[in-house]
Amino acid sequence: MKNKNTAAVRTDDVWKIFEQEAEEVQAVRGVTLTIEPGEFIAMAGPSGSGKTTLLNLIGGLTRATRGRVQVAGHELTKMSNRELARLRLESVGFIFQAYNLLPVLTALENAEFPLLLQGVNGGERRRRVMELFERTGLAGLEDRRPGKLSGGQQQRVAVIRAVVAEPALVLADEPTANLDSVASDRLLDMMEELNRDLGTTFLFATHDPRVMERARRLIRLVDGAVAFDERHQPEPER
Amino acid sequence: MNRAIVMARLALRNLRRQARRSVLTAAAMIVGGALLMISLPLGDGTHEDWIDSAVRMGSGHIAIQAPGYQATRKIEDRLSHSARRAAEAALETPSIREHVVTAKPQLAVGGLASSPTGARPAQIVGVAPVAEAAFSILDEKVVDGRYLEPEDRLAAYIGTGLAEGLELRLGSRLVLTAQDADGEIAGQLVRVVGIFRTGIPEIDQSLIHIPLSTAGSWLGSREDVTTIAVLISSSRRVPRIRRALQRELAGEIEAGSVTVMGWREAMPELDAAVKIDDFGNYMFQGILFGIIAMGIINTVLMSVMYRKREFGLLQALGLTPRQTGGLVMIEGLILTTLSGIIGISIGLFITWFFWRDGLDFSFAWEEDWTFSGVVMDPIVIPYFRVARVIQGLVFIFMIGVLASLYPAFRATRIDVAESMKFER
Repeated sequence: MKNKNTAAVRTDDVWKIFEQEAEEVQAVRGVTLTIEPGEFIAMAGPSGSGKTTLLNLIGGLTRATRGRVQVAGHELTKMSNRELARLRLESVGFIFQAYNLLPVLTALENAEFPLLLQGVNGGERRRRVMELFERTGLAGLEDRRPGKLSGGQQQRVAVIRAVVAEPALVLADEPTANLDSVASDRLLDMMEELNRDLGTTFLFATHDPRVMERARRLIRLVDGAVAFDERHQPEPER
Repeated sequence: MNRAIVMARLALRNLRRQARRSVLTAAAMIVGGALLMISLPLGDGTHEDWIDSAVRMGSGHIAIQAPGYQATRKIEDRLSHSARRAAEAALETPSIREHVVTAKPQLAVGGLASSPTGARPAQIVGVAPVAEAAFSILDEKVVDGRYLEPEDRLAAYIGTGLAEGLELRLGSRLVLTAQDADGEIAGQLVRVVGIFRTGIPEIDQSLIHIPLSTAGSWLGSREDVTTIAVLISSSRRVPRIRRALQRELAGEIEAGSVTVMGWREAMPELDAAVKIDDFGNYMFQGILFGIIAMGIINTVLMSVMYRKREFGLLQALGLTPRQTGGLVMIEGLILTTLSGIIGISIGLFITWFFWRDGLDFSFAWEEDWTFSGVVMDPIVIPYFRVARVIQGLVFIFMIGVLASLYPAFRATRIDVAESMKFER
């Protein structure tokens, strides 16, 4: 499914229009973007500017009203719900503001969940997850349930869950919004490192200036449309 | 570990996480399962008692008769001597004999019983006293005198109703009149040797037992009989033994000299009574489990609504909507099946431990209370059957499936993007 030679994401005149109390709300208006593999992008904008909706469209969690969305070479608008689920499982990782770990699973089980759904065997799962736990300072916390972890620790587990299956793309919606500055910096260090070492593409929806500073490309959305799109630094070597 | 095991594990842990809710739902199912397993064996025990009582008083679990006798009840529709011998030989077949408790020949005719004070219609039955006593419970119902004995010739065993109606006592003489084998009206003088009371008015007022040999010579039917009644070790085996007898008597059946009937055909009123009672029980259980199912739907649905974000997350992580619904189904099924098994076990244990020797309902009805022509024994002995346990399990499993369907459907319809916004 993964195709490293194609763009990680390509949107072409994408619109998302909601009906709200008989009124039409244009959450995303004609967004055209190309995100190359390995990019580390912050998407900023005021509340209601369409950041989360655009992330959901790219992640296949919601369908575009008009236009086309491609992820890792797959045309999302033509895919069935089942195919979209498969694409999310194999090619897209999600990180949410509220961590969203499964409360009944341990940290290790949460982190390995996508691998489990992919049918990766137990030994390989454990090896891959433990490697990331050690890299991110979570070693020793594998058997704790989410309720027994701090916010920063939970979000790190969520990041590991998002990257462990080596997806082409990680979509992070306000990942630092609930963290203090120390935990935020640590999380961003970790994601930068994973981006650099694994070549994983990160797309953040954020208000956090720290995320914007670290991003190598900043996209600003205003009223559902791209108002600004600029690369800060050269793209990382691939 | 494959995906199904992951799902089952997730489901189990979710049930444990909502322990109080799960326990409350499980409690309803446990009570339902226990009630089911108490009521079914007791209901079956009651029916078995009715059937046993009725077949012993009547024509057995299986009646071998001449075709037409069931409808006419006339002596001309009797089993010939050769048909009787063939039937008795068939009963000796090893595969049949092992299930036969006892069998009895009867020559039954409708007639008139007369005494100096009057006459009453009577059901006159010629019986082999020893075989009849082993088969029927009528000999135990004696209130005066004794039952018939092998050396009796002109003896009669009559009911209290008839005795009162004709002012008969022990030693009184009465004249029986009936149509004989040649179609002539024939009379026979007999003397009362015993009086019985079954509590069933139609029997007490009309039934007369006389020796089979006396009946044969009086009616000119010699050794012919109208019925060979067969008692089987369990009413559940009747269809199988009946088929075996039909195979053994295929020649006679084809020749039109014999028919083999189960008690349901021979006693249609009893069959209807059992079916009506069963229907009532099923209705009660249906209503009970309907209420329980509503509780389960409510619990599982609440759980789905409460965990919208979690189901949204699972779909974001790569589960299809159908798999998400499957998870809800698994939760519902685990909850209902486990609690159902516990309930069934408790029900079986209670029934076996406390009432295996019988549950006394004498506070509710008297010993000679009758229903559908059958004396109801106030001691109900539960009747355990593996089929009923399986039936209970399947029923509970189906309740689990039905109760989980709608919540599972709702889980498949969750708007993932919307649910992830939840609690923001």
